[in-house]
Amino acid sequence: MGMDVFQPLLQGFATALTPQNLCFGFIGCVLGTLVGVLPGIGPTSAIAMLLPLTLILDPTPAIIMLSGIYYGAMYGGSTTAILVNIPGEISSAPTALDGYAMAKKGRAGPALAISAISSFVAGTLSLVGLTFFAPTLAQLALHFGPPEYFALMLLALSVVINLSGKSLIKGLISAVAGFFVAMVGMDPITGIARFTFGSVELMSGIDFVSVIIGLFAIAEVLSTWEAQVTPVIRTKLTGLMPTKEDLRETFPAMLRSTVIGFFLGLLPGCSPGVTAFIAYDTEKRFSRVPETFGQGQIAGVAAAEGANNATTSGGFVPLLSFGIPSGPALAVLLGGFMMYGLQPGPTLFEKNAPFVWALIASMYIGNVMLIILNLPLIGLWARLVKVPYPLLAPIILISSFIGAYSVRNKMMDVWLAIAFGLIGWLMRKLEIPSVPLILTTILAGMLETSIKQTLSMGDMGIYLLFTRPISLTICILALLLTISSLYGRYKKISLPGDDEEFSSESIEYPEVFEKKSPVLVKPRRYLHAPKAVYLVREHDRSRNVAKCGSLRMRQAGEQVQR
Amino acid sequence: MNKSNGEGYPNKPVQLIIAFTAGGSSDVQARIVEKYWKKYFNDQPLAFEYKPGAGGQVGFTEIARAVPDGYTIGGVNVPHILLQSLSPQATFCKDDFVHIAQVVNDPQLIVVNPNNPIRTLDDFIAEAKKKEGRMTVGIVGTFTAHHMALLKLQDILGVKFNAVPFQGSADQNVALLGGHIDAIIGNLNDIMRYTEQFRMLAIASENRHQWLPDVPTFQELGYSFTSDIRRGFSVPANTDPAIVQRLREGFQQICNDPEYLNEMEKIGQPAAYLSGEDFTKYCDRYYEEAKQLIDKYELNKKN
Repeated sequence: MGMDVFQPLLQGFATALTPQNLCFGFIGCVLGTLVGVLPGIGPTSAIAMLLPLTLILDPTPAIIMLSGIYYGAMYGGSTTAILVNIPGEISSAPTALDGYAMAKKGRAGPALAISAISSFVAGTLSLVGLTFFAPTLAQLALHFGPPEYFALMLLALSVVINLSGKSLIKGLISAVAGFFVAMVGMDPITGIARFTFGSVELMSGIDFVSVIIGLFAIAEVLSTWEAQVTPVIRTKLTGLMPTKEDLRETFPAMLRSTVIGFFLGLLPGCSPGVTAFIAYDTEKRFSRVPETFGQGQIAGVAAAEGANNATTSGGFVPLLSFGIPSGPALAVLLGGFMMYGLQPGPTLFEKNAPFVWALIASMYIGNVMLIILNLPLIGLWARLVKVPYPLLAPIILISSFIGAYSVRNKMMDVWLAIAFGLIGWLMRKLEIPSVPLILTTILAGMLETSIKQTLSMGDMGIYLLFTRPISLTICILALLLTISSLYGRYKKISLPGDDEEFSSESIEYPEVFEKKSPVLVKPRRYLHAPKAVYLVREHDRSRNVAKCGSLRMRQAGEQVQR
Repeated sequence: MNKSNGEGYPNKPVQLIIAFTAGGSSDVQARIVEKYWKKYFNDQPLAFEYKPGAGGQVGFTEIARAVPDGYTIGGVNVPHILLQSLSPQATFCKDDFVHIAQVVNDPQLIVVNPNNPIRTLDDFIAEAKKKEGRMTVGIVGTFTAHHMALLKLQDILGVKFNAVPFQGSADQNVALLGGHIDAIIGNLNDIMRYTEQFRMLAIASENRHQWLPDVPTFQELGYSFTSDIRRGFSVPANTDPAIVQRLREGFQQICNDPEYLNEMEKIGQPAAYLSGEDFTKYCDRYYEEAKQLIDKYELNKKN
């Protein structure tokens, strides 16, 4: 590899820039953004639905379009995550943590812009990796066998500690619940039905889409309805574009998440959802102000969105080099390759070089299209939060139900989504964070498969993990990360000046209460609160404010913070 | 509607249930059939409906329980439907289907990594004996065609393997490419992508395959062992025999269309037509054999 890449790449650009290919690339990007925005309808079902229709096209424009849907969806997924706390794709679940917090502070615009910019930077940089090193990197990914995957899943699990919010126990409860959700259905290896209660539908398990729609969309609507507060709409939008400072702060995050997203994306099975969580967690560790994560830290948005885009490019490496799809969406795309008689594998680069390079070139172009498409839309999207909630809520619910139904064309998935909505609402009341549940639901399948394979690979049992250099290294890393997270929690808890109710925060209660809501009686506890910055998480706020008194006060409190 | 004699059938679009995801091998194949369907079936469209999940069981159950009026047909995989009907969690039985035709016969092969010193089936057997049951062989799932093939092979070759089940053929192939397992049992359709990275030791079909003319059959090497995955089309039991007849005739025409055969080769799926009657006979044979194997290895016990 090396310089000899330029010649074919330039030819690829020549092909990709023909009006027909440009046009289909654009359609793909627009559709991708759209399915990304809509919760429930994801790139997998969109590609699957369009695949038969594209057969009338030549392979190059068809695959260019279908790929555009895949990476375009990563751009769109963040929009609803930021605006209404409902990730359009599972890979944007970590984006919601800080993006929504930013939106509540009136910074929806910068959050949307940073997520588009980070998507673009990471998407493009990782394409450079794909362009120059695809065959070499694919070889690298082969060093990962079942034990290495298992070690990697352990590492990803350590993220749970940092996503747990205030109470580690509650975070762990949520994580365990996620494993239980993932366990419903057939054992991934033996095919034995578990917790299906004789239902054929449940045999194929509970789809992520139902879980995410329920826990995020439906639960959000329920909680908002119950609290009788209209969350974002009274917020003033303070500028649509990120400040220079925002950009400077997030740039390192974009680079780090590119590296994480791309390299983990090389591994089949590491979906954009997994890498987004890992990148988010990494950013929190690198941050000088980790306590601001979850409170509207723009670097968190950049990390999650950068990683999921870098992962899409990373996923093309094993797809093109070996014909190995790293996730469901790419598996459908592989079906598209097959329908056109294009056999992915090392021979694809030789036999169908013009096609491969046109596809790679089209992805560079597609990323440019997407950022041009997304940045001007921000103003429009940001105004969406001004739509009165009583109007917005039914739209959210209806699109949620359609999304859940569209997964398998079964009502079962809609009922499940509703059930998860109730569970999510209950979890919010009990202050159990839902994000660990989402994470373990994503990880469970591969965790289970890889440990069973590891155990069946020899007589050594689980000790096999420690006899292989890569898995041993990852295990040690996982252990270190776990220890450091636990130490971090311990340190935070014993921080002087923090009382048992609060950690640290950027909102100074006494001042805010006096200024914005003079009717309120100053609660005594705030009077004695130290001047130090407080960290109050999303769920703590309502509780603390509720403790202060009447609903009216609570409403006022909500308003002040948002 | 001439329901009684199948004449005029079909006079409206026919629904086709695919038990796997869009873009999967079953779908890719059915899409080729669709191209010729209209030509032989009164110009009526074929409407695809995907019911994936549980290794095909969700969709197969839909087919078995569909209204038997001939307007719902389904793509079935053998031995999937046979093994699923033998499992303790069966949701249909093998006689719930009436087969129209077999369209694909995808034989299985024993494949090793070329870095492995194993060059022939004899080397493989010798190595397996030397390793005393510790030779790792990748299969796709348990209670599947791959699993049955592995069990049969143990009996026929007189060795024991350490089976490592994977979720799909892609995972299995990656593990072999990376050298994490010693060998795999793979299907021709999945292996064709990797002919340069893999070493194929023997193919479990009756004759050598035209795509891999250098790979000997087990038969040639002295072992009577065949194993494959077949794709076919079926309707629910109790469908009007006249309509079944009409479908069987139409599929026979499609499957012998030279253009169809050409396209099948392009997508890498080994076309092999069998009439509905012959396909049914094959299924019955396989079913009996599998039942014995399952009893012998006590796979049906819930533990």
